[in-house]
Amino acid sequence: MLRTVVFTVANVGLTMVLGTLIALLLLRVSTFVRVLLTAGLVLVWSVPVVVAVQVWYWLTNFQNGVVNYSLGLGQHDWYATTFSQLAMVTALIVWGGIPFVVVTVYAGLAQVPRELVEAAEVDGASSPRVFLDVTLPVLRPVLLILTSLSIIWDFGVFTQPFLLIGQSKLHSANYLMGVYLYEQGYAKSDFGRGAAISLLMLLMVAALSVVYVRKMVRLGDER
Amino acid sequence: MSGRTWRLSNSLLLSRRAIAGRRVRRTAWNLVGIAVFVLMVFPVYWMVSTAFKSDSDINSIKPSWIPLHATLDHFRAAVSGDDHPYFWNSVRNSLIVVGVSVGLSLVLAFLAAVALAKFRFTGRKLFIVLVIGIQMLPQAGLIIPLYVVLARYHEVNRLTGVILTYMTCVLPFSIWTLRGFIIGIPRDLEEAAMVDGSTRLGAFVRILLPLVAPGLVATSIFAFITSWNEFIFANVLLQDQQRQTLTVWLSAFSGTGRHTDWGALMAASTLTAIPVVGFFLLVQRKIAFGLTAGAVKG
Repeated sequence: MLRTVVFTVANVGLTMVLGTLIALLLLRVSTFVRVLLTAGLVLVWSVPVVVAVQVWYWLTNFQNGVVNYSLGLGQHDWYATTFSQLAMVTALIVWGGIPFVVVTVYAGLAQVPRELVEAAEVDGASSPRVFLDVTLPVLRPVLLILTSLSIIWDFGVFTQPFLLIGQSKLHSANYLMGVYLYEQGYAKSDFGRGAAISLLMLLMVAALSVVYVRKMVRLGDER
Repeated sequence: MSGRTWRLSNSLLLSRRAIAGRRVRRTAWNLVGIAVFVLMVFPVYWMVSTAFKSDSDINSIKPSWIPLHATLDHFRAAVSGDDHPYFWNSVRNSLIVVGVSVGLSLVLAFLAAVALAKFRFTGRKLFIVLVIGIQMLPQAGLIIPLYVVLARYHEVNRLTGVILTYMTCVLPFSIWTLRGFIIGIPRDLEEAAMVDGSTRLGAFVRILLPLVAPGLVATSIFAFITSWNEFIFANVLLQDQQRQTLTVWLSAFSGTGRHTDWGALMAASTLTAIPVVGFFLLVQRKIAFGLTAGAVKG
């Protein structure tokens, strides 16, 4: 339970921070690199989750995975400890989650008035300051929605840990809520307990969902 | 030399230096950008290139970065090898499930979206809340109730059961996106047609339908992608190997023997990904808009 919360925070945090940074990076590169990078991100975005899992499994394979070779780690087994198993799942989720965040934040950045940024620069503000005081307030609604969506998605994540860690290696020490739910409710056919877990999960994301749903409904009615 | 020209040339010099500095910085950012690109795309590249490599290249400790001895063996093994039967079976199942559920969902979703966008009725707000709210439920949480319900009607391990399940996922999303597209069409157009003697149905068919068509296409493609990629429900609901969908087939690929046939696995992964990637590139812009239209505008 606590593990799931920590896991979700780590995933969402990494996805959001890296995603926003890449979006900011897109503003600074030349057109060619921007198109290239966007195309690459969209490509990553479109890779089906199940496929992505298989590819990561191959990349991090301990015998002749390319990651071990590149880092000069010999035959390091990435799935030996609970921590590193979950870290691999995190890497996979963050990798898959970044493109959506980048594309959305980049669209949001287009809303930042250029004059405001220039005015701040003329007034001698450093670029972190410009980001904090000018860009961030404009981006806030976008970031808010993205964060709540990501939390909801990552909290209930199932496919990635279930397949990447592999059914045989899953045990109570590396369960995330989604997987725990599956094991209890389905694999052990304890429908009662399964239903209880899923209600718990619902309650935990409910607060966030309310924020998101209210925002969407309000926007929907305005249009 | 007068003071004025001196100042001018000095400021020219300054700006030239500033431009040079900016160029250096831009090059640096470009390099960072390319590095990020390489990092992000590498897994995809590695998947495709592994699929084409020969076994000895794949299994050597020192990886070969570019497939010099390209071969199609792995694709052949994945599609029709003795170790991995049921590929075409799975493709057919996937197509049936996805086709039927997307088709049905879109007809229903379109009608619902028109109602939501054009008419005011009691419970409309509640309906909107439900449509968005349903999408927030963690999928894993739905396995059990769906399984129990479907088992009661003997729909477990049948494609119809999965079709019904997928419709529960696809419908809310489609309703919401289509509603966005329909709202974008001015009401006046339809009214003008009706003033000119067209019936409500006629206006609907002749005015609304053609205008929403691009939206319909985009939505159905996205619905296609979500159901094609779906794994959890298909894994739980379809137990027979002959009935499984492509994602389940792929997930079972590596788990069969101690030695994994990486080449075939990557070839299979590539094959599974191709239709999705293709369609996705077509509609990506529209969908990014659909998912966050509100957010960015607000």
